[in-house]
Amino acid sequence: MDQIINDLSHHIRLNKGFFLWMGFLALAFLACLYAYVQQLRYGLGVAGIRDYISWGLYISNFVFFVASSLIGMLISAVLGLIGLKWVQPITRIAETIAVAFAAVAGLVIVMDMGRPERLAYVFLYARFQSPILWDVTVITTYFVISLLLLFLPMIPDMAVLYKRFGNLPGWLKPVYKVLSLNWTDHPEQNRIIHRSMYILLILIIPAALSIHTVTSWLFALTVRPGWDSTIFGPYFVSGAFVAGSAAVIIAMFFFRKNYKLQDYLTDLHFNNMGKVLVLVAFVYLYFNINEYLVPGYKLKRADAIHLRELMSGHFAITFWLVQVGGLLIPIALMLFRKMRRPLPLTLISVVVLIAAWFKRYLIVVPTLAHPFLPIQHVPDNFRVYTPTLTEIAITLLSFILVLIIITLISKFFPVIPVVETAKEKGLDPLKSNES
Amino acid sequence: MKKLFYILLLVFIMLLRAEAQNPGWIVPDDQKGKICLVKFTPDMVKQGEALYMKNCQSCHGIPTKKNFAAIQPSPGDLSEPKAGTQKDGELFYRITTGKVPMPEFRNILSEDERWSVISFLRTFHKGYVQPDPEKMAASMGKRIRLSMTYDTARKKIMVKAVELTKEGPVAAKGAEIIVFVQRYFGNMQLADPKPTSESGYAGFDWPQDFPGDKTGKVILGARVNDPTGSMQEAIVRDTLAIGLPTNKPALTDTRAMWSTREKAPVWMILTYTLAVIIVWYFIIYIILSVLDMRKIKQVKNT
Repeated sequence: MDQIINDLSHHIRLNKGFFLWMGFLALAFLACLYAYVQQLRYGLGVAGIRDYISWGLYISNFVFFVASSLIGMLISAVLGLIGLKWVQPITRIAETIAVAFAAVAGLVIVMDMGRPERLAYVFLYARFQSPILWDVTVITTYFVISLLLLFLPMIPDMAVLYKRFGNLPGWLKPVYKVLSLNWTDHPEQNRIIHRSMYILLILIIPAALSIHTVTSWLFALTVRPGWDSTIFGPYFVSGAFVAGSAAVIIAMFFFRKNYKLQDYLTDLHFNNMGKVLVLVAFVYLYFNINEYLVPGYKLKRADAIHLRELMSGHFAITFWLVQVGGLLIPIALMLFRKMRRPLPLTLISVVVLIAAWFKRYLIVVPTLAHPFLPIQHVPDNFRVYTPTLTEIAITLLSFILVLIIITLISKFFPVIPVVETAKEKGLDPLKSNES
Repeated sequence: MKKLFYILLLVFIMLLRAEAQNPGWIVPDDQKGKICLVKFTPDMVKQGEALYMKNCQSCHGIPTKKNFAAIQPSPGDLSEPKAGTQKDGELFYRITTGKVPMPEFRNILSEDERWSVISFLRTFHKGYVQPDPEKMAASMGKRIRLSMTYDTARKKIMVKAVELTKEGPVAAKGAEIIVFVQRYFGNMQLADPKPTSESGYAGFDWPQDFPGDKTGKVILGARVNDPTGSMQEAIVRDTLAIGLPTNKPALTDTRAMWSTREKAPVWMILTYTLAVIIVWYFIIYIILSVLDMRKIKQVKNT
């Protein structure tokens, strides 16, 4: 038992690497924050977005963040409720990613607002008919449920670590004591946790499907080419699973190496996550074919312009890199067992994740560049969207925030559930009955 | 030498073609001499300024500020000599007919209103002297006054044209009359133009199913269609209760997706509220029950 506790918790300390990494993040954060201050002072004009292409990096990034946060639901709820035992050590990583991305997704919207001090108006003057209100509601709800799904299984862990982990830093002790809510492995307590988890795991499925479906409706409820589609909901959800699975694999690789968790995050886990990624990527590919073949066959005038821009026009290089390099080739590679080993799988996941980000850009921007009414008598920078440096820095700011949240959670709490791992092996977490 | 001739000829033809393709904005000669028949007054200038701000300022900017819109062809600042050196008739023609992207104001501003806009612009043009209307009037053709009535028996709109002569009003014969109905924006011509009869009347069939406002009122107008300028323009507007009373609720009056929050569809409010209540009931229930765990302290030793 002590072995497990030590293995899974030895990283919980303030070491040089942590300070270096956090220092780097903090510096980058401040630099990018300066860009945001510029935007606050001079307005959205400092970004490349203009009247026609009014959703640029920020909203693409928002969609990407919502997408990445969806993975918490897939791993914990869908795979967990089916009863797959191997996902158990990964659940907390998935939930951490979900919480971090969901928390920052809302901020990304604020970054896209010209007058963020009027944020309250979104609620004060909310219309029930507006997908924006639905989006705000479901993202808040999903964030709270994900936070609870992260926190509840951690309660026993914190109680055990508080009592039995000698190296727990002194300043963390009171935090653990308060957050462990007097957990003593009492059957009644376990019953409450289990029942709560069960309800949450069921609740999170509709909540998660809603957040990305509603996000897709922000586009699909218009008649614009490229967005006017009835399958946008599932298209977005399946795409979200691809991005999220890739993010989880990258995080797994990182934690396994840095926190020395080779015994707990084994090749088996990578192999299985690789299979999950292939599966969701196939589903996503299926929706992609639908999304491009169906309008491409009918070639309605506006759709034709849109598709030509994507496939052979201004966005062609990005489009084909994303579709072939970010979807087809990864699928083909991951079909082989060798490619699902930790290192190759992680490299593939990095490519997939980057492609997933650009895919959101390709969904948001090209449609806006081709409105139904002709663009005329405007300066050139209204016609073609070029993100500015300030805009890129502000977008980076959101990524840095996500990294900070993931770092803090994973650094001060066990990445892999301690008590569940112990009970799996038939050990009583509160007693040192060595086996 | 022969070769050079052909080349020159070719260049000349191309120049001609280019000229033909880009004829500029030419005002017909017979329109250039048109003038306003009254002396510009401060009231007119004031009305003109209001009309300018409403209809022209979005493209031409505020005169002298040079803040006109950055579009092609450039609208330009109308206080500049380019507009200032034009005759009244030229400005009037351009406002009346428009040229893409400038809209035509023929059916948006009445003739008087167009003149008041010009009177406003003239305040920026140094050295401008208005042609004397009294002197010019003699050469400006007939002065026509119109009146409009509805003939219930024949279901016709009767427009009467009267020429004001030195001897007094006389029925005007052969004046081409256009009748139109005022819409939200601009006017709708009712039928083809008709000349007045011997007695100075022109009758227009009135469609009996024509929608009016809640009380059936329709705003009608009539004017003399006189492209040659042999008659001074005359226009009359009148509100007649001859349309079908139409009481269609505005699109935003009923509960609908596109309406305000207060007019959201009931099913939408219910679905949203119920979903939020159900989900958050469970979330709050879970938070409370987990917090309750703190009270369970004893460890059962089994």
